[in-house]
Amino acid sequence: MINFILNGLEVQAQEGSTILEACKFYGIEIPTLCYYEGLSPYGGCRLCLVEIGKGENSKLVSSCTYPVEEGLIVRTNTKRIVNARKMMIELLISIAPQSKTIQDLASKFHVTTVRFPVRHEDCVLCGRCVRMCKEQMQGGAIGFTARGNKKKIETPFNVRSEECRLCGGCIYVCPACQLRCQGPDAKTDLCSGCLSLEPTCIETHDDYQCWMGTTGDCGTCEGRPDQIKKQMPDDR
Amino acid sequence: MKQYRTHLLVCAGTGCVAAGSFEIKTALEKEIGRRKLQNEIAVISTGCNGFCERGPIVVVQPEGIFYQKLKKEDIPSLVEEHLLKGRPVKRLLYVPPAEARPVPKMMDIGFFKHQRLIVLKNRGRIDPENIEEYIAFEGYQALEKALTTMDPGEIVKEIKDAGLRGRGGAGFPTGLKWEICRKVPGNSKYVVCNADEGDPGAFMDRSILEADPHAVLEGMTIGARAIGATKGFIYVRTEYPLALKRIKIAIEQAEQYGLLGADILGTGFDFSIEVKRGAGAFVSGEETSLLAAIEGKIGIPKQRPPYPVHRGLWKKPTNINNVETWANVPHIILRGAKWYSEIGTEGSKGTKIFSLVGKINNTGLVEVPMGIAMKDIIYEIGGGIPNNKQIKAVQTGGPSGGCIPKRLLDLPIDYESLKQAGSMMGSGGMIVMDEDTCMVDVAKYFMNFLRDESCGKCLSCREGTQRIWEILDKITRGKGVPADIDLLEELAVATKDASMCGLGQTAANPVLSTLQYFKGEYEAHIKYKKCPAVVCKGIISSPCQHTCPIETEAPQYIAYIAHGQFEKAYDIILKDNPLLNVCARVCHHPCEAKCRAGQGGKPIAIRALKRAAIEYNSAKKRTHKRLKASGVKIAIIGSGPSGLMAAYDLAQKGYAPTIFEALPAAGGMLAIGIPDYRLPKKALVEDLDRVANAGVEIRTGQKLGKDFSIKDLFKQDYRAVYIAVGAHKSIKLGIPKEDSAGVVPAMEFLTKHSLGEKTAIGVRVGVIGGGNSAVDAARVAKRLPAVKEVTIIYRRTRNEMPAYAEEIEDALEEGINIQFLTAPTEIVTKDGRITGVRCTRMELGAVDESGRRRPLPIKGSDFLVELDTLISAISEQPDLSFLKKDHDFEISGWNTFVVNKETLATNVPGIFAGGDAIRGPSSVIDAMADGKKVAKAIDQYLRNGEIKFEYKVTRPSVYVEPAKLTVKETLESTRQDTKKLEVGKRKQNFNEVDLGLSKSGAICEAKRCLRCDLEVKDEDEKEQK
Repeated sequence: MINFILNGLEVQAQEGSTILEACKFYGIEIPTLCYYEGLSPYGGCRLCLVEIGKGENSKLVSSCTYPVEEGLIVRTNTKRIVNARKMMIELLISIAPQSKTIQDLASKFHVTTVRFPVRHEDCVLCGRCVRMCKEQMQGGAIGFTARGNKKKIETPFNVRSEECRLCGGCIYVCPACQLRCQGPDAKTDLCSGCLSLEPTCIETHDDYQCWMGTTGDCGTCEGRPDQIKKQMPDDR
Repeated sequence: MKQYRTHLLVCAGTGCVAAGSFEIKTALEKEIGRRKLQNEIAVISTGCNGFCERGPIVVVQPEGIFYQKLKKEDIPSLVEEHLLKGRPVKRLLYVPPAEARPVPKMMDIGFFKHQRLIVLKNRGRIDPENIEEYIAFEGYQALEKALTTMDPGEIVKEIKDAGLRGRGGAGFPTGLKWEICRKVPGNSKYVVCNADEGDPGAFMDRSILEADPHAVLEGMTIGARAIGATKGFIYVRTEYPLALKRIKIAIEQAEQYGLLGADILGTGFDFSIEVKRGAGAFVSGEETSLLAAIEGKIGIPKQRPPYPVHRGLWKKPTNINNVETWANVPHIILRGAKWYSEIGTEGSKGTKIFSLVGKINNTGLVEVPMGIAMKDIIYEIGGGIPNNKQIKAVQTGGPSGGCIPKRLLDLPIDYESLKQAGSMMGSGGMIVMDEDTCMVDVAKYFMNFLRDESCGKCLSCREGTQRIWEILDKITRGKGVPADIDLLEELAVATKDASMCGLGQTAANPVLSTLQYFKGEYEAHIKYKKCPAVVCKGIISSPCQHTCPIETEAPQYIAYIAHGQFEKAYDIILKDNPLLNVCARVCHHPCEAKCRAGQGGKPIAIRALKRAAIEYNSAKKRTHKRLKASGVKIAIIGSGPSGLMAAYDLAQKGYAPTIFEALPAAGGMLAIGIPDYRLPKKALVEDLDRVANAGVEIRTGQKLGKDFSIKDLFKQDYRAVYIAVGAHKSIKLGIPKEDSAGVVPAMEFLTKHSLGEKTAIGVRVGVIGGGNSAVDAARVAKRLPAVKEVTIIYRRTRNEMPAYAEEIEDALEEGINIQFLTAPTEIVTKDGRITGVRCTRMELGAVDESGRRRPLPIKGSDFLVELDTLISAISEQPDLSFLKKDHDFEISGWNTFVVNKETLATNVPGIFAGGDAIRGPSSVIDAMADGKKVAKAIDQYLRNGEIKFEYKVTRPSVYVEPAKLTVKETLESTRQDTKKLEVGKRKQNFNEVDLGLSKSGAICEAKRCLRCDLEVKDEDEKEQK
């Protein structure tokens, strides 16, 4: 067993486990996107960052890939982390605002503006599909090609794959494929709807409407960002 | 062994090869064969000499004579004159910039003299494809020592004690890394040499591999012994074919000689090296991605820990070091850690190789001891900045590094100092930037490189670099907003913090560094829509229009002239400028300094074309229609260019401006400071009339403080006052007896002369100073009938003289002596009248903060210049004697008004100031720009109470079709210079010297214009949320 310090607490974890696994065990919530239970960790989305070390030598690392070390000092919610995390979410929204997964992250972590021109792409390069196909479905039909801002996920040489068995595993795990309620032609880039703390539907209905499966249909969520700004204190 | 009397060492580094050194070698061999000298003279190709700017290079040993910029045609005379007759060919030798005499010997040349070669000691001396030459110069002796007399632990200790730090960029202590790797248990270990060298502009590693590959092999073998490795890899980027070729030859030869492979030197130690090629990615220079690439996987960084020293190639302990680091090892082993640690500074031992590139005279590769001042590399070795430009910054560390601004050039070069200054040592790229480099554009350039080279795994790096680039691009196109700077800083911090590998973690450095030191440039782009270096196309449109302080639409009037439409050209000029006759003669044309045709050619004669438009337009002279005066009175103090421009624009806007001029004649410096041979009275009067006809009242003989006060003005219902009194008071020389008879300040001399008053002037006149008033005073004096001799005494060199170059040329043509590097020390008098001035000779010492060499007196060089008149013209200040003792104005230490830079408002409401009165002696056009600005400011102030300007990018107001040239015209076009009055005809009169262009000459010159304004297309951009 490895002993280390997590948010000031002396904790233990099995050798070879990651900081993220240890945090899950101890109930400390860390946001993730590219991490998927059952698949190998990737460390690309940079949401699961934790701060290790202290003082001048401290740095941020992705907890999903960093192995626990004896005596390591780990903190999960420092100012650096909160700022970096918010920027990551803001960048994600600007790539794929139609994703419910990403919009929920934005609501949860109080990202209230998107200052970049929105691109409306359907892939955030989290790599879940690649790992799903290779590791879980033993297929290996898709992978990363090119690099930098031209990086893509596709089949080799972008031709129809003979390895692909059309299992749909890639779509199943894709965060960008889970659409937000207002669909691809949303009125606003930030919906701030589903995970906000004070749903407007309660004022007109007895029940919280989204549980009924008609997410957004009640129509009271429209124009939410302004209402959110009025109701929630500006904690930036 | 064959003995030769002379060796010709032909540089065959990639740079010289590209310039044709292989042909030079062939030509030499051929000529030497023809002259039957092949048994006396050897011709050898060596690796890079380092002075790449001057290739192709041949060094003649043993004399050490350095030939540069050779052409095939030079070879026969070189062989005949030097090799047969023993006379080095002067015209092929190196001449330092701004000097006249060549420096024949290599070791006397500044570039070489100040370097300290350790790693590069064999460069240019040996044939890198011949192992015996390496061995002859102490090659492989260190390996022998290490293998036969030291045990691995001792080798590691030696490297540790030497203090060698990784030369790849991060500077990790090499000995420590070796020690850690050595201690990891295991029989299978690797050493790797990182020769990926991806930084743009860096070619240190390439040069080492091309010039002295065995140094790297020897270092790696010693390292392998120390760590316990049996296999080594050299990862060379594919873009280095010559380096790849030479390292492979070196490995083969080393194996043949038993210095590599099995049982090295018979000691039983086995170690072999394999070469791996890169595949065109910057990120594979990062150690974990390099190792992945060697394993055959995709070059993407991995999280550390585990570090390669523990788990590297194929999960085995791997020690990876940079080429230069490995090349240092044999020297440390051979000469000892103590010797090595005495070179450099406390924290940074040894030497470092830098690729000195950019705006520098001596581009090339330099090896210097750590701790040398950046300034010494730039000036002593680099030879300073070409074309007399001002240095702005030095970029170190490649895309991961930052800029060191001009004011920090005293910085010692070592790991800590550079880091503290916000940059880093990096692998050794050093890019020098001058006043023509836009720092926002530099940040954008590096960002563009990084967003392409990012591996793309981490969101923070992939998107961070992309979004930072987008914002920088937006700013350089003139669409930036103030919030962009905060967003850039936030993004930069996030990219730095959240990325996994060194590329992402340092990606934001170019932006952060330029924001730290050059925030003003960002603000200029964003707020004022100006690019100070005149680079960003989307903002400047054409450099001439953008640089002009009043944004004269030069490309448009030039284009009209090219079509022969002089009237339309005239209208374009008049639209913004009522003082066109003045500007067409005396403007110092900053536009021509930035003209693109002038880069690699001669700039367009923009000022001369302006004059042509005036002279050859056949329509009657026009002025604007006069608007109905609103009766709101504005008072303007001073009828110089600033006051005139302000009054004209205010009249256009419907105000009733009155100019109060202290002297009996209007025009300010235009009338009294600029003599007739530069600006004829007729031309000035025409412009003055134009201003008056626009509705401006000019009252001469009205001196502020004597005939009226500012309080009076406000009482008389003037609603605002613009103080444009200029800088008319000559500064005192500060030497004894300068109040003697015969010593006269330049402004007094020039004013009296222009007003037709008698000036007491003798026969031998001296002028102290180097600015325009000094040269003007000298040229006026020379024309006076009594004067026989005129001498200008200036303390610096001609290059540094602030007067306009054309003026200096004319003065010399007219027979005026200029004593450069001379300073006055004492005035000699007899009976209270000057008889001469004692001077001392100066020499240029070290470079000071301004980037200029400071002149220092040479002891014992005193001499006397006999004169009967001395004109002091070292500088001028505004004459503020009109201010009451209890005035409220804020005045600077130079006696100028302190104003709000944007609005020209002084601290007293309703009173503005501009021109030389706020700037000290400056130019006509800058004063006019102030006049334009203040007219807008006063207008807003009176309408709205507050002044808020809206700034726009530079664009022409009208599209003019480009002129079509025939092929013949294009090939034959050269700059048309204006005709000048012969020197003989200038004696004792004040006739205009510059006679302008002919009509056909003007059209010819106008057709040379490259029409930079046509390159900028404004697309309609969709509104983005």
